[in-house]
Amino acid sequence: MSDRHLVKESEAGMPETIASVPSPSGSALKLTQIKKRFGGIIALDGVDLALERGEIHGLVGENGAGKSTLIKTLCGIVHRDSGTMTLGGQPYEPSGPREAKRAGVQVVHQEFNLMPHLTVAENVCFEHLPRQWGVFLDRDEMNARARKALDAVGLSEVPVTANVQSLGIALRQLVEIARALMSDSSILVLDEPTATLTSHEAQRLFQLVHELADKGVAVLLVTHHLNEIMDHCDRITVMRNGVSVETMPIAEASTERLIQSMVGRRLAGELASDHPSFATDKVMLSVRGLVHTSSKNSKGVSLDLHKGEILGIGGLVGAGRTEFLRALFGIESASSGSILRNGRTTPYSKPSEAIKDGIAFVTEDRKDEGLILRMPIAANICLADMRKVSSRGLLSRSRETSLAKKLGAKLALKYGGPQDAVSTLSGGNQQKVVLAKWLSRDPKILILDEPTRGVDVGAKAEIYALLRDFAAEGRGLIVVSSEINELMALCDRILVMANHRITGELKRPEFSEENILRLAYQFGDDSQTGVH
Amino acid sequence: MIETPTTPPPASRSPMVKNIIRESGIAIALLLLVLVFSLTTEHFLTTANVTNILTQVTINLILGVGITFVILIGGIDLSVGSVLALCAVVGGTVMNLPGLGVIEAVTFATLASVAVGIACGMLNGLISAYWGLPSFIVTLGMLNIARGAALTVTDARTIYSFPPAFNAFGSQTFFGVPLVFLVALLLVLVSWFVLTRTVFGRILYGIGNNEEAVRLAGHPVFWYKVAAFTIAGAAVGVGAMIYVARLNIASPIIGVGFELNAIAAVIIGGTSLNGGRGSVLGTLLGAFIIGVLANGLVLLGLSDFMRQMITGGVIILAVIVDKYRERLST
Repeated sequence: MSDRHLVKESEAGMPETIASVPSPSGSALKLTQIKKRFGGIIALDGVDLALERGEIHGLVGENGAGKSTLIKTLCGIVHRDSGTMTLGGQPYEPSGPREAKRAGVQVVHQEFNLMPHLTVAENVCFEHLPRQWGVFLDRDEMNARARKALDAVGLSEVPVTANVQSLGIALRQLVEIARALMSDSSILVLDEPTATLTSHEAQRLFQLVHELADKGVAVLLVTHHLNEIMDHCDRITVMRNGVSVETMPIAEASTERLIQSMVGRRLAGELASDHPSFATDKVMLSVRGLVHTSSKNSKGVSLDLHKGEILGIGGLVGAGRTEFLRALFGIESASSGSILRNGRTTPYSKPSEAIKDGIAFVTEDRKDEGLILRMPIAANICLADMRKVSSRGLLSRSRETSLAKKLGAKLALKYGGPQDAVSTLSGGNQQKVVLAKWLSRDPKILILDEPTRGVDVGAKAEIYALLRDFAAEGRGLIVVSSEINELMALCDRILVMANHRITGELKRPEFSEENILRLAYQFGDDSQTGVH
Repeated sequence: MIETPTTPPPASRSPMVKNIIRESGIAIALLLLVLVFSLTTEHFLTTANVTNILTQVTINLILGVGITFVILIGGIDLSVGSVLALCAVVGGTVMNLPGLGVIEAVTFATLASVAVGIACGMLNGLISAYWGLPSFIVTLGMLNIARGAALTVTDARTIYSFPPAFNAFGSQTFFGVPLVFLVALLLVLVSWFVLTRTVFGRILYGIGNNEEAVRLAGHPVFWYKVAAFTIAGAAVGVGAMIYVARLNIASPIIGVGFELNAIAAVIIGGTSLNGGRGSVLGTLLGAFIIGVLANGLVLLGLSDFMRQMITGGVIILAVIVDKYRERLST
């Protein structure tokens, strides 16, 4: 069905159900020399991309390379300045997302586009809600269709009548994919589909992607995870600064080569795991049996953090890692347990207590919890320690600017000026602003939840280097990450959580993907399914 | 949502410059109105009429300044009109207490009025912040409570016969500028300073933009919210005494609908109803646009009904214009 709306004028009299004829070459989508400029910024400066039917095509590039703009061009949100696009051999000129969808181009965007207060079924069927008598919503039909769509992506445990809000972030991602697949599509674009998924859930996703490809769908996979690219793609296109640098078959690709092609400089060193450890024997923080109020495990979590140590916490989504951190930092209350630091024994009851005790918390969600996007970089950096930039409650602009500049320089922040809104920065630089904010208080302990989520590989390497510097300065770091490679690259020691408790501890020599996963899937007696 | 290049983006305009651009747009609109009315009517630019406009703008401006604090944190205060009546009748009752000299009577009355305003505002803030309720609902409740309380306190009667000196304050002018307007102007300047130059103000803006980020940075969001509502209440207390001084009566039925005019001034002034963006200088200009429009249209011979319709149109227009301005500035 993919072509009918593209050629609707010439085929005005033809039946609606005309099927697309696979072009002999097998080419599904072809972009030639696509260019796009926004004001003074050149977003795309000549992109060539060809998708074959039934292939999984990887698209990689640093943040700012133009991947998002390219995707938006594909689905009609952005209109290109020059270049040609053909879909199944026909010119492809989508005027908007609706037309792109009709033409068979489905995009699962990085940001969630689900309506949290509606049910799963309503979300999945939102584009074509089934009607009864022309006006009434046919709930049974809607639920049945949604059921089918969810089963097709292997989400048989998700009830279609549940509110999307009640689902975990990982399930929401899969629901979104189910929604995209409701309509027939010849092209499926996945923008960072696994950003929030654990490797288990990601496997499930890729299994589905392969099935779709086998049916002839051309899949464009946009991701920062090079291992996913290496494992699942047939061909890979690399973008840098708005240009498609090269397209290579998987046989010729290697992580090393992709990274070099993406960033044009060598970074492999920072991402490797053979860095010196700065961990000492001195305990900075002890947690004993800390139980988050929503946790069903009564034993809670216990750990010791040493001076100069980077302590990792691994586990599946839903293992209770984020909840543990939030209880530790006093954002949500702990129902029992103790925190031993500087002579205190009780858990923190609010974040300000933890902050006073020299602890900083870099949250999982920059946009919702870490940053005030519309406000200037300087204002964000100064937010955690207003005393540094004020006297008797009066703000000093000059002190604010100089503190921002000082910390910006320390973290190699790339920005126009300290009064620019944070929203103008790339993901990696936004994350650096969050780090700068906390660094202004000179914290002794940093808690980081998914510190490199949505950050490109270049910025990731820089953030790793910064975190290692923090440890070298004698700070203690607790890092929660769903990326096993990240934990193994950064940490001196890894604790693995499952079902709101720690299932094991690994020291550097014991680090391996298998060991971590084995512990992550170890649910114990009071176990439930890992996905909820 | 364009991806930014990894090379440093060019320095864009600072927020302060953006704010000035934003406000200069409103100022130009105001100047155009003034120009049009000066050319089309005979009496618009006379001293007497300017004094008249300034007097009319005063109350709306004072209430608007208070509400700006609440709207900046993403809240709304619908109760100010009713609370104004409650403050007025409590102040009026205190002023007429037997055995007080003029100065004591006025001082105590003002203190009582401001105290009542603060109490109502604080209650609005405490209830909505503690239970996390939408302030729309809480202040809607307060709107009814305060009106009922005002009627109860006075037994639905109007209080009058205040000291002549007090009334004189209400109509005193200073080179054509009403004294009461100067009070309002002072409030604007102090509020502007607090919002732009203090830690307190910065955190209010932060809360309006991203409450959770402010909370996780260790700031007591709860108390900042309560403070914003309390400031709005205090402004009502001040406004109530000025209103009483001008009318020379304190009636429990005054102030009906004042909250909507004040909110309109804030919105026309470019403050976002979603919070986090706007300024009290915008509110000053917004109050003037409403005041000048009302005055000028009457001078043009239009009926009050027409004036209402046109003011309503201007409110909608202001928000539409703001939408485009926001798009241009980002």
